[in-house]
Amino acid sequence: MRAAATRLGAAEQRALEHWQARRRWARAGLVYAVMLAFAIVFVGPLLFAAVSSLRTDPLEYPPSLAIPQLQPSNWAAAARLGQAGAGDRWFGGFAPGATVPFEIAYFVPDGVDVTDPDVEVPRRRPGAGLGAVLAIEYAADFASVSELQRLPDVPMTVESGDGTTSGRRVAYAFTIRYQGDGPVIDRLPLDVTAAVGMQYLDSTLTASRLERRGRTASFNDVAPGVLGYVLRNYVRVFNEVRSPATRQSLFLAWIGNSFAFAAVRIVVTLVIASMAGYALARLRFRGREAIFMLVLFSQMVPLQVLFISNYLVLRDGILTVGGFTLSSLWGFPDGMLNSLTGLVFVTALNAGAVFIMKQFFESIPREVEEAAMIDGANHWRRYWNVVLPMARPALGALTILTFQGAWNDFFWPFIVLTSPENVKTLPIGLLSFRNTYGAVGDWGLILAGAVMSAIPVIILFVVFQRYFMEGVSFGGGKE
Amino acid sequence: MRRILAIVLATALIGGAFAQQIRIMGYGGQDPAILVRLLDEVIGAELAAEGITLTYEPLEGDYNAALFNALSAGTAADIFYIPVETAPGIIATGKVLALDGLFDTAPFIDSLVEAYTVDGSVYGIAKDFNTLAIHYNTDLFDEAGVAYPDASDTWATFADKLRAVAALDADVYGTCFPAGFDRFGAFAFATGWQPFDADGHTDLLDPAFVEAVTWYTDLVREGVAIQPSDIGQGWTGGCFATDDVAIAIEGAWMLGFLRNEAPNLQYGTTFMPIGPSGERGNFLYTVAYGINTDSPNRAAALRVLEAITGPAAQQWVLEQGLAIPSRTALADNPFFLEGTPEAIANRVVFEGAADGHVLGFQFGNIGTDWMTPVNDALVAIMTGQATVDEALTEAQRDLNALIERAR
Repeated sequence: MRAAATRLGAAEQRALEHWQARRRWARAGLVYAVMLAFAIVFVGPLLFAAVSSLRTDPLEYPPSLAIPQLQPSNWAAAARLGQAGAGDRWFGGFAPGATVPFEIAYFVPDGVDVTDPDVEVPRRRPGAGLGAVLAIEYAADFASVSELQRLPDVPMTVESGDGTTSGRRVAYAFTIRYQGDGPVIDRLPLDVTAAVGMQYLDSTLTASRLERRGRTASFNDVAPGVLGYVLRNYVRVFNEVRSPATRQSLFLAWIGNSFAFAAVRIVVTLVIASMAGYALARLRFRGREAIFMLVLFSQMVPLQVLFISNYLVLRDGILTVGGFTLSSLWGFPDGMLNSLTGLVFVTALNAGAVFIMKQFFESIPREVEEAAMIDGANHWRRYWNVVLPMARPALGALTILTFQGAWNDFFWPFIVLTSPENVKTLPIGLLSFRNTYGAVGDWGLILAGAVMSAIPVIILFVVFQRYFMEGVSFGGGKE
Repeated sequence: MRRILAIVLATALIGGAFAQQIRIMGYGGQDPAILVRLLDEVIGAELAAEGITLTYEPLEGDYNAALFNALSAGTAADIFYIPVETAPGIIATGKVLALDGLFDTAPFIDSLVEAYTVDGSVYGIAKDFNTLAIHYNTDLFDEAGVAYPDASDTWATFADKLRAVAALDADVYGTCFPAGFDRFGAFAFATGWQPFDADGHTDLLDPAFVEAVTWYTDLVREGVAIQPSDIGQGWTGGCFATDDVAIAIEGAWMLGFLRNEAPNLQYGTTFMPIGPSGERGNFLYTVAYGINTDSPNRAAALRVLEAITGPAAQQWVLEQGLAIPSRTALADNPFFLEGTPEAIANRVVFEGAADGHVLGFQFGNIGTDWMTPVNDALVAIMTGQATVDEALTEAQRDLNALIERAR
């Protein structure tokens, strides 16, 4: 009787356990599904932007997933053509002595006459940016296209909405030669225009776009090299965006400025915030409370309230009395606008950072310092040799938050850095991208710039995730 | 020794007196590069000989907001751009120097000078300009067997041509008509209608305006024209580049876009169709240079203004295909007669400034907010949410409130 009850109990137990296990899995599955959904929602736009930045036309509507830049057959062709064009399988080009072979194929339905297409290397001037303003070399001035060689026809059928059409595949081969001697040219555009009725099928490299109702297959560059093909917009960001006066790459200058600005701001913030935080946490002096309240208060005043007066201070060089400006002492007699130094001046002091450090120092037991005091350490030694090493997590979190803030800062750089172009930081540079290239629909270039500007922050986040969480919890509560 | 010192001092003084730095504030984008080239190749040497150096400060983002900031902070440059749509507001700040007697405006196109004239004084010299023109896709017209649009087209014949091309294919439309006064306005002007009467009031219920709205929106409701957003485009140029429409009504700014996005598009350009008034209507989109009244170097600033709007500079800008010059004398420039599609388009846009009812893209002190009620009305009518009468009555009410507030 008892044994039977136990057996029954055991069976029930097993069923219960089984049910519980299933519930656990279901719960885990649900949690993961929700997290996955969130991840897709948050990462999706970034991924879409990254993929779109490879496209020839990022605004393609409706967007298609078959992106020529992501097809391995095109990579191989791009490398081969780049090698033929300038002996450079990575970045391509069109150099003296080059012979670039090319093939293109059409579907010709039965009953349609075949006419040899027109092949032309066009004089294609960029519509925007420096390419449109500065004089450039055209491949058209040096290229000559060989006679078209018709390859054997292949019978084929094409499925379409109205049924099956039978016909044949008509393919042509030709070469583009660099005539005479001249400069190495960045890109070799090509247009192939066929007669009405012939449908473009494929070519050595997929056409950048089909125009004139499908008649013209237009190629941006038929000697691109792999990177020149897949990362065309990225290469253009560095090549085309140059200072009109010095021809220096503006994008590189902007990246350099952003890194320099972030680095200096991190150092200044760490030094000032840790020292001020230590003083407010540990030193006893008159007016300590009042100063702390003042620090807190300064964080409550919106930036927009203070910016005009701060701007004027910068413009006049900190302190101008009777023709003397204080900033001339460190090399800025005409005010500090349009300089990274000026930008650091207005942005480096951060009351929030002081607050974080003060809270952290207060959480360190006083006994640690008292032990050091007995050993004869003064305030400086206690700060530098005892407390600061213990504050490494807080300093790490502060570094990351400051870097992220400085890298993405828009407001102050926008106001302080206006001219010349190469003094700007990356976010302001991207704005000038939008003004220059957005107007002519060249969104690929803008997207490429934006994706690149996101990379440092993404790397930082992935590597230092742990500190990010700590940084958030520092701001939150007090142990 | 003392003599040497005196000479050094004297040269320093003279040098200091002659070396004058003139700042220009303007748009970002490619304008900074254009100015650098203009200085290098055309006017730089001449100005340098007179001891004048130029620096260009681009204001990225919202130019008007940035300029008003600079004007109120006292950091505005000696010379700055005055966009036509905000010109009345900028001139009303009193910070723009009246050019009467200081600058000869006679060589410039009248309607451009007019757009910068307030109470009889001229405040800006147009840098370049644009008007609207009809750009047509010759492939589509050939395929449909329809005659190209030409200068003799009236609204009726123009609409018939659009209908005939749109019949070609279900995916092909006659044209893109955006629901915006910034393009539609040109048709309203072709009826002889004016946005403001002598008292500064706007009458949207004027039969002429109603006629223009009806004609414009009927083409959309009929399916001959389409709003750009309905085929996934942001503007008419986008519709045109993808062969979706046979005609685009845009200015010469579209040419750079086409060079990038549709380099093989075969197009021609002609004048706007003739409206019910027997005249064409058109907008003038332009930007002028104005001189800051607070400029410490007024004489040098005037000298620079003379150089950058001078015949040599404007001819260079035109021949490089960068912009359309504001001097009437350049009408005969060989560039316009080259016969390439771009040259023809530029010539049509240039001549559009003096053909029919041409008004600046300008709305008094109200600025571009003036367009909002009208645009809302156009959307409501095109999408069938309201009749022409209902929508315009409501727009008139909103606009009256807007005008009242601006007083």
